Amino acid sequence: MLMFTFVTKNSSSRHASRLLTCGGPCTVSIMSVFMDLNLIQNQTEDRSGLKSLIETAAHLGFSTVAVNYVFEPTTKKKQNIPSPTPINELIDQLPIVQGRSRPIRVLNRLTIVMSDSSHYRPTAAEYRRFDLLAVYPTTEKLFHAACMTYDVDIICISVTEKLPFFFKRAPVNGAIERGVAFEVSYSAAIRDATMRRYTIANAIALVDTCKGKNVIVSSAAEKRLELRGPHDAANLSLLFGLSDADAKEAVSSTCRSVVLHAERRKSAGGIIHTTKTSPEETPPTPDDRDAPAAKRAKPLETE
Amino acid sequence: MVRIKSRHLLCEINVTDRNCLLLLDDRAVLAAVKDTVLRMHGDYGAAPLCFLCVFLVKYLNAHTGIVFLRFPKNCYKLLWSALPFITSIESRGHKISCFFNCLHVGGTIRTCQKFLIRYNTQQLHRMLPKCKNEEEKQEIRQAILNCSLLRGKKEAFEEASESEEDEEE
Repeated sequence: MLMFTFVTKNSSSRHASRLLTCGGPCTVSIMSVFMDLNLIQNQTEDRSGLKSLIETAAHLGFSTVAVNYVFEPTTKKKQNIPSPTPINELIDQLPIVQGRSRPIRVLNRLTIVMSDSSHYRPTAAEYRRFDLLAVYPTTEKLFHAACMTYDVDIICISVTEKLPFFFKRAPVNGAIERGVAFEVSYSAAIRDATMRRYTIANAIALVDTCKGKNVIVSSAAEKRLELRGPHDAANLSLLFGLSDADAKEAVSSTCRSVVLHAERRKSAGGIIHTTKTSPEETPPTPDDRDAPAAKRAKPLETE
Repeated sequence: MVRIKSRHLLCEINVTDRNCLLLLDDRAVLAAVKDTVLRMHGDYGAAPLCFLCVFLVKYLNAHTGIVFLRFPKNCYKLLWSALPFITSIESRGHKISCFFNCLHVGGTIRTCQKFLIRYNTQQLHRMLPKCKNEEEKQEIRQAILNCSLLRGKKEAFEEASESEEDEEE
């Protein structure tokens, strides 16, 4: 028995992942897969650093990680966008995830640090080589543009400096509507006490504005000792003002909808995600799906 | 019967060099946790740690790096949120850089022990493909069978941790 989820241009992928929760227990276990969408690829360091990072992430129980290539364009001269190294060149055999039988899934992600609107080129062919696309806007104007128009998956929030602008309701709501997620990374907070204050202050400002929706928490770790386990990361985000449920979603299902959003962006019209449910489980009828369990029509009792 | 409610956090201490783990003792772990809570949450956070009968390091396995922490139930989330900020433990004059990874939160120490036995069996299964020769493999298979059969008993628990050491050599 197969369950279909349609993610089209009009419906945000967050809504799609909601639909999936209505399935049987099988789909519930898919929901709670943990992801860490930010492992920094150090250009200068050799491959062993990244390898140990991925191995540690698998040991901690992350099923999907994304290797982040940071691209910071300067106005002076034209720079080349880094091209991702295929993961099978980096590591011969991917480690098995803790508690599961599958190997870890590794994605590539590009983060563009923007200080000018010309830095983001919507039709650049280089972007298509990456699985995920993130922007880090440094001015309010760019933040507004990133939320409302840019075709990206993740908007990074500054964690190493005081917030250069205030988050306004309108762009943030626009981003949530379009299925773009906001990212808070915690490894700067682990490194230094001043950064910790900035991280917590900026994250609280964000969570206040977006009410805990579409926030993902990721590590941005460069060394393996900067990674934290998924439960720790979820509990840590309680400090950012997220509620218990939102904190758990920040490391699992919101990340999943980000990955689905990225797949949608790469394909032309939309994607179909199929999930196998157990044969005994009958799927709920389509009109019942949206209603909570208590409001569904009760089956007629017969004598 | 009324008892003091507490939460047991089963944490794993991850280090780069596993030999460093042998230097750990429960007083060092306790001091590191106290220090970090004080740094993160100030006097308000450190106040619950004053119940000495509730805040304890119940168990520490220096070979596998497993530690049981007991926190008061009403504020364990606050204390837990300080744990990710531990970056090093100072023990016997050495500074061991490490991080805590919380594996399980249980109401009683018994549920934690049950979880730990299952977890250690799982770890052995994960390590099995890394064996160097056939004899080692047989030895570990035997160990896995033993601790699976005796699940819930104390011997199994010890055996699991012992065989894990064997394999690392």
